[in-house]
Amino acid sequence: MSFINRQICIKTSRQVLFITLIVLVAGFASNRLRYDKMPLVEDWSAKSNLVTPSGENLEISLSEASNLFKKGKAVFIDARSRTEYDAGHIKGATSLPYKEADWKFVEAMAGISEESAVITYCDGETCELSTELAVFLRNAGYKNVKVLSNGWSAWKQNGLPVDTEK
Amino acid sequence: MKEKIRQKISMTLYHGSRIVLGIVFIYASYDKILHPAAFAKIIYNYQILPDELVNLSALFLPWLELITGSLLIIGVWLPGSVFISNILLIIFFCALMYNKARGLDISCGCFSTGEGEAPESNLYLLRDFSFIVISVYLFIKVFISDSPGNRGSSLISP
Repeated sequence: MSFINRQICIKTSRQVLFITLIVLVAGFASNRLRYDKMPLVEDWSAKSNLVTPSGENLEISLSEASNLFKKGKAVFIDARSRTEYDAGHIKGATSLPYKEADWKFVEAMAGISEESAVITYCDGETCELSTELAVFLRNAGYKNVKVLSNGWSAWKQNGLPVDTEK
Repeated sequence: MKEKIRQKISMTLYHGSRIVLGIVFIYASYDKILHPAAFAKIIYNYQILPDELVNLSALFLPWLELITGSLLIIGVWLPGSVFISNILLIIFFCALMYNKARGLDISCGCFSTGEGEAPESNLYLLRDFSFIVISVYLFIKVFISDSPGNRGSSLISP
């Protein structure tokens, strides 16, 4: 570009290089000094999201979940928003949007015993609402909570029973 | 006389923009430097970067913001810091656009790592765009026009 002179381009590249070096040093040093060091590369795969802080795996497979569904032995909880729930959900599922869980919890979970098998789901491999809701429910006393990963899409694609709210 | 007033306004605008943008960057970096792990989760949720780069970005990006912001405020190494601020803001804008297009309901991670920031993509886009306007203005001042910016920047080299 002729309207930007060459000198300032060289100067800019040099400064960007210096800034990058400072950033690298500052970033590494600050991470080293932290008591909760962060690994530079971490396993961010979808599976690792389904492990609780205490190391317990919350995942339930689709086949297992559909078996429990057919036997009527599990309660499905939809962690997505109410609008998404209304547009379509697993047949018989209860809506408890994670973001509103604090104040909708009592109403939504009324009549569901703490001993019953509860399966939470949302949509998308990386959706965390269902895991968060599962942890929330476990803290609330539900002992048998599992997460159906990518629940809504997987359920629908396999032609399992669904329902819509009108 | 008129020329003098014009020059004064231009100078004030230039230094004002530099300082405002600097404050924005420093403010944005603060919470993320304190909570890199929470920021990493937000970056991951954007689903743009490969997994290997998530933590590295969470670690270095806030420092880049802090240092760019500080340089903008101090007025040192302006060509470098203005260049970086343009690149960063444009990248953020693209990420937000991409996010909006996919309808992902995730927190922005713009100024904090908390979940309190309710996803509001239009607002984020507008906000980022206004920063881009300031940043592009500084770019023109520093790189193209022969006004205060260029004179100032020629005094400072690493």
